[in-house]
Amino acid sequence: MTTTATPPSTASASRSRSTAATIKRKANGTRQGDITRLLPKPLLVTVITVLLVIVLGPVLYMLFSSVNGDASVAGGAFFPTELHFDNYIKVWSTVDLGNGLMNSVIVCLAVAVVCAFLAVATAYVLVRYEFRGRLTFLRGLLGLQSIPGTLMLLPVFVLFSSAASILGIQIIGTRAAVFITYLTFALPFSTWVMVTYLRGLPKALEEAARIDGASSWRILTRIVVPLSWPGIVVSGIFAFLLGWNDVLFASVLTNPETRTAAVALQVFGATQEGGAIPLYGQMMAASLICAVPVVVLYLVFQRYLIGGLTSGGVK
Amino acid sequence: MADSTLVTPTGASGGRRGGRAKPVHLRNRPLWMLLPGGILMILVIVVPLVVAVLMSTLDLDQYTLQSWLQAPFIGVQNYIEAVLDSSLLRSIGISVSFAVIAAVVTMPIGVAAALATQNKFRGRALVRSLFLIPYVLPAFVVGTLWRTMLQPGGVVDSTLGSIGIHSGLWLNGPLSYWSLIIVQIWTSWPFFYLLVLAGLQSVDHEVHEAAAIDGATWWIKLRYVILPYLRGPIFLALIIAFLHNINAFTLPFVLFGVPAPQDVDVLPVLTYVTSFQSFRFGLSAAMAICSLILIAIPLFVYLRAVKLDSGDEGEKR
Repeated sequence: MTTTATPPSTASASRSRSTAATIKRKANGTRQGDITRLLPKPLLVTVITVLLVIVLGPVLYMLFSSVNGDASVAGGAFFPTELHFDNYIKVWSTVDLGNGLMNSVIVCLAVAVVCAFLAVATAYVLVRYEFRGRLTFLRGLLGLQSIPGTLMLLPVFVLFSSAASILGIQIIGTRAAVFITYLTFALPFSTWVMVTYLRGLPKALEEAARIDGASSWRILTRIVVPLSWPGIVVSGIFAFLLGWNDVLFASVLTNPETRTAAVALQVFGATQEGGAIPLYGQMMAASLICAVPVVVLYLVFQRYLIGGLTSGGVK
Repeated sequence: MADSTLVTPTGASGGRRGGRAKPVHLRNRPLWMLLPGGILMILVIVVPLVVAVLMSTLDLDQYTLQSWLQAPFIGVQNYIEAVLDSSLLRSIGISVSFAVIAAVVTMPIGVAAALATQNKFRGRALVRSLFLIPYVLPAFVVGTLWRTMLQPGGVVDSTLGSIGIHSGLWLNGPLSYWSLIIVQIWTSWPFFYLLVLAGLQSVDHEVHEAAAIDGATWWIKLRYVILPYLRGPIFLALIIAFLHNINAFTLPFVLFGVPAPQDVDVLPVLTYVTSFQSFRFGLSAAMAICSLILIAIPLFVYLRAVKLDSGDEGEKR
């Protein structure tokens, strides 16, 4: 299989995600693309083509349907038979999408910022100091992510309403309710991402600062935080996405005014059943509007986010 | 400060071999920094967990919920009712089989995608980005999208019809179970692909060279050289995928609505409906505890298998 059929362009060296081996690969020059090749070319092309069709089919369908007429979508058309760009205008008045998006943005941004900084402080201690229960703490961070949300929903709901009646303030239905919930459920994963990031950071600067008599707080805020912006941004983005994508908690903890975009879309979809043809065009337009911020975030920060995503899967 | 100035460097340079025993190293630990996050996690995760266990032993409905601490204690009766008189067991069966099938099917797709994009080719960056899209789309968007596509007479029916396949209803009846599996596979395979891709990075270049020098065909190389490297990542990815699938709430919730058709009445949706539509809160809490027991074994295996320490801190690993 090492014999040619490969244009020279494919043979150029480095990977997007560089490992220690990259340097060696570079030194190996032109034939390394052949050597590391895993699938014969026809198979490779087939796999990629099939997967692209499977991925892009539904995605393009969403795009096309968002400007299609409702009857045409209901009739099973893939390509738009008529163009209704006004779907993108009408949808804002059909659904309370503007309000939903604003709620989502406010809550998720706040969650992202607070979560990232709590995560960096927690991770700093976990990585740099020994203490009893450290491993349990680390294990807990991973384990807590797998607790089913449906298990937490009811007690969180009840505790919020009990706390509210004790304190005499309304919690359920406010943005604060979803903020606290998302913040906490985002913390384990964001902290884990920060832990894996801080491990890669050299200790030398911190030690130098320690010798100069800096306190731990100073070291954290003046040295660790400035050095770990990429990690902080990634754990913030994950926290943001957790809030943005959630339907479960928001469907119970918010009211029509504080509803997030996710719930707004879900309610819109659910109320379209029965009677006349559902407003498919606007539904797809709304879906696309909710999806775009997430997809853009991912694609822009792709490299860093993937490292974070797979950090819980390293053996 | 004076003595820490003197001693910390020693503690730090010896830190590689585990500074655990050195008392000085244990001084000045800013453990209070764990408090904000720790307290939050205890208040909003651990306390509710305990409350959930407590609630599963109470006779809670919409009337007793207000003063839930005074609700009548009925012991394990909720559990008995859940097992004998509710659709819990059927839901567990649906959930587990769905989670296993979806995880197992994403495996070959993820592995194939990782193998195909491992090598550089023109447009690879674009392909890798596009591969991510199904995974990064929010579950509620995926649900809404596929719900539209799978409508009777919708685009899936018309596409299949044009090649002569006339299936039944996708969103109701027995086929709905397979709809759920297909959509979950569509949206979750890129995660498998990412984990396998990360595993492939750990294959040294020398390994590729050795295989090439020995003249191994691509299949032999894949089977006997590369695959052994991927066994660990694949195993972990299977467990993580299973856990993701079995906890999936948003996708079935949006795809089928509530109350769900009985073929896709997965455990999270059943628990949700029992709480917030039937208002049987105690019963629902018991069901939720059952779901926790269900994931306990795979979660335990996962936590044993995953690497917690980089080896730089702590001891061996």
